Parts: sequence; structure tokens; C-alpha cells
Amino acid sequence: MSRTVAVARMQLINKWTYIGWPLTILAASFLMSLAIFALIPVQEGKYGGGSQAPMWYFLVLGIQSMTLVFPFSQGLSISRKAFYLGTLGLFSLIALGMTGLYLLGGVIERATTGWGVYGYFFNIPWVTDGPWYSTAAFFFVVMMFMFIIGFWFATIFKRWGTSGTLVSTLGTSVALIGLAALTTLLGWWGYVGSWFAQQSPLSISGWAALLCVLLAAGSYATLRRATP
Amino acid sequence: MNDTIVEARNLIKHYKDLNALDNVNLSLSANRIYGLLGRNGAGKTTLMSILTAQAFATSGEALVFGASAYENEAVLSRICFIRESQKYPDDFQPQHAFRSAALFYKNWDQAFADRLAEDFQLPIKRRIKKLSRGQLSAVGVIIGLASRAELTFFDEPYLGLDAVARQLFYDRLVEDYAEHPRTIILSSHLIDEVANLLEHVVVIDRGRIIMDADADDIRGSAVTVSGSAETVDAFLLGRKILHRETLGSLASVTVDESLGSRERAEAQELGLELSPVSLQQLVVRKTMAGVGSTGVGSDTGDFADDTLEARR
Repeated sequence: MSRTVAVARMQLINKWTYIGWPLTILAASFLMSLAIFALIPVQEGKYGGGSQAPMWYFLVLGIQSMTLVFPFSQGLSISRKAFYLGTLGLFSLIALGMTGLYLLGGVIERATTGWGVYGYFFNIPWVTDGPWYSTAAFFFVVMMFMFIIGFWFATIFKRWGTSGTLVSTLGTSVALIGLAALTTLLGWWGYVGSWFAQQSPLSISGWAALLCVLLAAGSYATLRRATP
Repeated sequence: MNDTIVEARNLIKHYKDLNALDNVNLSLSANRIYGLLGRNGAGKTTLMSILTAQAFATSGEALVFGASAYENEAVLSRICFIRESQKYPDDFQPQHAFRSAALFYKNWDQAFADRLAEDFQLPIKRRIKKLSRGQLSAVGVIIGLASRAELTFFDEPYLGLDAVARQLFYDRLVEDYAEHPRTIILSSHLIDEVANLLEHVVVIDRGRIIMDADADDIRGSAVTVSGSAETVDAFLLGRKILHRETLGSLASVTVDESLGSRERAEAQELGLELSPVSLQQLVVRKTMAGVGSTGVGSDTGDFADDTLEARR
């Protein structure tokens, strides 16, 4: 257990990786969005997608924790299990903190009618329309999803190399196209459409969380036999 | 002390087209300095990776402190193995790597790490990505030394280090080992440089252990006899010849045997010169002997060719 916690602490030794950079990216994106909102002379709600910027960094973090931090952890004789739990635990904490920040930003944003310039950065139509816990769940799961998908692809790459990554990426694409073709053949697009229409941010978070759990379990199974 | 702390039984590691380890059996005792010697690609890193559970054997068993190291915190916490091509987190500086090691090794000595960093003139606040090859090696050497793990592996630790830094490493290793005995496995192909440090030598070639002996036993286990070719050949008739060199009518022959005092006296009477064989010479000759078809037959074959050449 203590070694699991140590894995998380180890990755916080350099504060930039998990705290500094996400905050910097968020702040930069926020300030730029605000500047643009202020330049648009419209007296009604303006929405931008700038708040997704840190998410892409989380994808990179997920990849790097597998390609660089994992080999380093092996050099310090850290078990694969301790590395996995410590890294995923650390990321959950970061995602939790970021979600809190997004919620807080959203509250201030509404209270100030879009920072006085009708600009909405943390409020996103549909996503943040529900109660606060639905918004929180959505942000948290999306952040986890980005990290885990990066981690998962990197485990595939570590274990099976370029060809394995290619096969799994192509395989996933082919499967998705196949599903789409099947849906078309059976004339089910109507049902699919109405299914999506029925979803709320909360239920979408639930489905995404399920996918996260599957990918995380898959990553662990692969990591158990991965070499640095 | 003869506590066995590392034991490899019938280890085989098979890659697509080669046997990286070909039935390796090995037993290492506590508190000694081992040399794991061999050419590039001989299987040194593979063997160390499997012992430390960083890689997996195709078959066979690797026990460290009596158990498999795989996912075994009790065993892993006593091992340090920084590989030659060690990777570090993207944003890490040497100081971050050292602080990480401090989290995992209970015997970590930060003051020692600081002193070593100064000795190696390592910029501890530069990103590891930007370090030179030698500085990168220094990071690994410092982690290996300051962690004071009971079982420490050094994987070609001198790459890119200049002669002064290499000597520093050897000196610090011996000093610290004297104060804090532990088991050290030093993989190397710069054999002469490390020969004096080693207490036990394991030579691996093409996945097989071809030598596993105490350094003391090896010193003097082979000898080079030189003098006039005919006298040398007559003197060494029937002995295990490792290598033969001729220059004109002179021959210099290395035999894989030690000579008794009576034989030494006889050699002197015959006007033959005896010289010791360095560990490096011995390893090179033994490895090369394995490269030829095998056995005594090829030795005598070379012998005949050399003789012919010398007579022309």
C-alpha cells in the first residue's frame, strides 16, 4: 500500500507534470476565450469549446505514464500493480480537483453573467444544464476517459509494438464501421437517434464510466505482462 | 557467507529468431561483487531483466531471495536495476529521479547521492532529456550506488563516461561496498577496467554461461608460453590450447591450464618465457574458442595453419 502511495507521490515530485501544466493550459485557454468573447460585440450568451483544452493534455499524460513513467518505475523495482494503482489513483485525484475547479468556474460564470462579457467558458449547453452532480460526473468521467484511453493505447503499444497498435486501432474502426453498416441495413438509425435523444449528461457519463472501467481493466491485464 | 540470494534454473528466453538465454543455471551468493561479462548481445541485459522480473523467461525459474521477484514487493524492494537504456519521466531532472528513488529504497543515502552528483559534475537541475550520454549514465550510477539495495545491478554503467568518471565510479563502488556490503552485479565488456573489483566472474556468450568462477581461481588459471615455436609446441604437447600466435620462428601460445612449479622450472630451463593472462585476454580467447567449430579439433587445425604460415 505504501508503495502505491509512493508511486503517486513520485509523480508529484515535479509539480508541473500533473498540476502546473493542466492549470497553465486551463488558464491560457480561459484568458484567450475571454479575450475573444470580449471582442464579439453581442449582448447574448457566447459559448466556446476552450474548456476542453486540458483534456488533450490528459491524453498525453496517459500515454507518457505508460511509455516513460512505467519503465522508470521498473528501474526502481516497483511492482506493476503498485505502479498501476498509484498512477490511476493519482490521476483520479487530479481529475477530481479539476472537476471542482470547473464547477466553481461555472458558478462564478453564471453569477457574473459570463464574466461581464456574456462569455461562457465553463458552462456548455446540454452538458451543464442538469444539476451540479450531473455536470461534475460528466467532467470527471471525460477527464478519466482521456487519460485511460491514452494509457490503454500506450499499453497496447508497449506490449505489441507498432503492429499491435495498428491492428487494435484498425480493428476498432472496422468494428465501428461494421456496426454502422449493420444499423443502416436493419434500418435502426431511428432507434439509435431516439436513444441518444433520451440520454442525459448523467446517463452518458454512466456509459462512459463503464467504458473507462473496461479499458482500465484491459490495460491492467496487458500491463501485467508488459516489459519496460 | 554462502547464502544464495540469486538462483537461475534452466532459464531459457526465446525470441523470434534467437535464443537470448539458452538454459542458464546460475547461483549467486550474498555480499559479493560479481562481474557479468560478455559481448554485446550475449544475453547480459536479458538475464538481469528476467532476474528482476522486468522481463519474462520463456521457461525456467529465477529466484531472488528465495522467491520469484514478479509482483513480489518483499523481493522487489531489495533490488535496484537501472538499465543502460533507462527511461525517465518526461519532465524529470536528475534531482527528481533521486527523490523518487528515496521514496522506494529504505537505505537511500541522499548525502551520498549529492556527493556523487558533485563528483560526476552532474547538472541535477537540467532535464534528463537534455543530458549527454555520460551524464545519463551518471544518473543511473548514482541511483544504483545511493539506493544501497541488497541486490544492485549495474548495466554497462560506464557508457559515455570519461576515464576520470569511470575511475570515480569504481572507487566509490569499492569504498561504499566496504562500508555497506551488498551483492553487486556489474555487467561490462570493459573487462580489464573492472577486473580488479570483481570477486566472482560469470561470462555469458550467445545465451550460455561459458565461465562461472571465483576471480582468484581464474587468476593464474591460464598462462601464455612464448619462445621458439618448436620448443613451445613440444613443451605444450597435449595441453588445452586457447590461442596461438606466431611471429617468424617465435610462437606465443596461451593454454587454459595452470603450470606447476616443476613445469615452470622446466620451462625456464628450456628458455621459454611465461606470462600471466589478463582476465580480458582469457574471456576474449574463451569466447573466440566458442565461435570456431568447437573443441580441440579446431585448435589443432589453427595450429597447423599457423605452423604452415610461419614456415613460409
